[in-house]
Amino acid sequence: MTTATLSRWNRFRDSFLWYSFKRDKVAIASFMVLLAMVLAAVFAPWLAPTDPYDLATISIMDSELPPVWITGADPAFPLGTDAQGRDMLSTILYGTRVSLLIGFGAVILQAALGILFGLMAGYMGGRVDAILMRIADVQLSFSTLMVAIIVGAVFKASFGNLMYGEIAVYMLIFIIGVAEWPQIARTVRASVLAEKKKEYVDAAKVMGFGTRRIMFRHILPNTLSPIFVIATVQIANAIISEAALSFLGLGMPETQPSLGSLIKSGFDYIQSGSWWITLVPGLVLVVLVLVINLLGDWLRDVMNPRLYKG
Amino acid sequence: MALLEVKDLDVRFAVRGGDLKALRGISFSLDRGERLGLVGESGAGKSVAAFSILNLIARPGYIAGGEILLEGKNLAAMSERELRKIRGNRIAMIFQDPMMTLNPVLSIGTQMVEALKAHRRISTRAAREIALTKLRKVQLPSPEKRLDQYPHELSGGMRQRVIIAIALLLEPEIIIADEPTTALDVTIQAEIMALLLELCEQDNVALMLISHDLGVVSQVTQRMLVMYSGRIIEQGPTREIINDAQHPYTQGLIKALPQMGEPGARLFQIPGSMPSLNNVPSGCPFHPRCEFATDQCRQAMPGYVRSGNVDVACYEVSNLIEQERLIRIQEQDS
Repeated sequence: MTTATLSRWNRFRDSFLWYSFKRDKVAIASFMVLLAMVLAAVFAPWLAPTDPYDLATISIMDSELPPVWITGADPAFPLGTDAQGRDMLSTILYGTRVSLLIGFGAVILQAALGILFGLMAGYMGGRVDAILMRIADVQLSFSTLMVAIIVGAVFKASFGNLMYGEIAVYMLIFIIGVAEWPQIARTVRASVLAEKKKEYVDAAKVMGFGTRRIMFRHILPNTLSPIFVIATVQIANAIISEAALSFLGLGMPETQPSLGSLIKSGFDYIQSGSWWITLVPGLVLVVLVLVINLLGDWLRDVMNPRLYKG
Repeated sequence: MALLEVKDLDVRFAVRGGDLKALRGISFSLDRGERLGLVGESGAGKSVAAFSILNLIARPGYIAGGEILLEGKNLAAMSERELRKIRGNRIAMIFQDPMMTLNPVLSIGTQMVEALKAHRRISTRAAREIALTKLRKVQLPSPEKRLDQYPHELSGGMRQRVIIAIALLLEPEIIIADEPTTALDVTIQAEIMALLLELCEQDNVALMLISHDLGVVSQVTQRMLVMYSGRIIEQGPTREIINDAQHPYTQGLIKALPQMGEPGARLFQIPGSMPSLNNVPSGCPFHPRCEFATDQCRQAMPGYVRSGNVDVACYEVSNLIEQERLIRIQEQDS
């Protein structure tokens, strides 16, 4: 086992992926920033000075304190506090955690649906293909936000605010995942169409493999690089969708804020001078989405079969 | 009873404007351990014949008639589930291009284990063990290392050895080799062919060798079929056909071999090219290119006549035989 992992590591170190990563400063920087943010988000309960979900530690007397570099700040709150007196640093750490969770969760769901339907449509062809792709077309003709607004409103009305707070994360993952699966399904279908004409698929049929085995064990691994590229970009998209929904008040409730709901909560106070409540989480969101997109661009260049034959 | 018997097989491709007849009334048989050659120009239907034996003709192609009997069981009428048990397991196939037939993203070991697991209940460890013995059998250098390597890490000849090892994995009774050496270097070709031959003889596996290389077919096979435009036009013992071909097309093929011509002279070639399937001439499909063609050839398809041990479909031959018979009768009378 150890020799297997060791040889896998060696193989990775010899790979084109690693080679081009080492030479691309933007990719390295983006990866570092992303890694730092993900780690900070994952370890938020240990890193954050206070627990923003614990109402007992919050004092309304601390509300709207500015960040440390502005006079009138309290050194206990390095990035200031929001309108309810929550420490901004802690809230942002927890908010990034929620945003990332929704981003990854939604893309995992998208990928599961997209790969399954894309493989079926591409490999089986004919009627299966026609039906699945028409469903995808219909799905894509609704904007994600519109679907999310309707579903979110229905959920909120039927479950009540308290219950809604508990299921909001899952609901957002579900909505964004279901709304965007056609993106991945189309990508998968296109590469399956190219792969299934190759001789190794004939060889697999001649060996007596079943359809499912050929689809998942033989064709799927050959279509992974475009899936990987589009999934990266989709994570950024999902995070933005979530932020937009939260900003509209249909996403995460303010008791468990994501980056989007933080921006929204500060929006009412911009006019009264407390700009940091919106600006700081806004910057975090921009940086997060930017580095993911930069990494996605880099991956697309590296995994482009026209540039590199693997 | 023959191991494999193909009777009157008709394969068609449904396209706009009617069916194209890719195979017309193909009949032949293959005994256990026998080596059969299948010869013809590109487009004669050799590969279609190979795929239809496994009932794997892709749409729009379909089997329009006839039987494919494997020990008496008709593959043309079997369910997909039953067919899957036969493919790879009892009949294996080797393709032309070893660069393309291996899955580029799976290691050699994974691909071999996959094949075993698809047909048998077997642990991964045991499957790897079997894979290793087969790789040894095809004389692949350092087989343990190869199991964890990927196809792009092997040379063409090594890959074809791996493919042969995969074909042998489930101990099939028949191996169909569709131009197994065409994509290889000339030096490797002979090596791979000799290996395939040796392994088939060792395990008494029947080999159906599809090739347009008459030289290879004449050396390796015991019987051969010559195909033209979806029909078998001549079949019989290889030696007899090579030494004394009956059909004008087969004669032309043999005359076109470089070793048959004078040194320095222009190579012989059969004039014209094979008709495409949507424009098959009436009567004998070869008549537009045949120097012996008569009105009879243009009107109707010749049936098979026996000359020695060879079955041949040609009016010229049947007329000659008829004449000889008449002469003999006259001699007896006088």
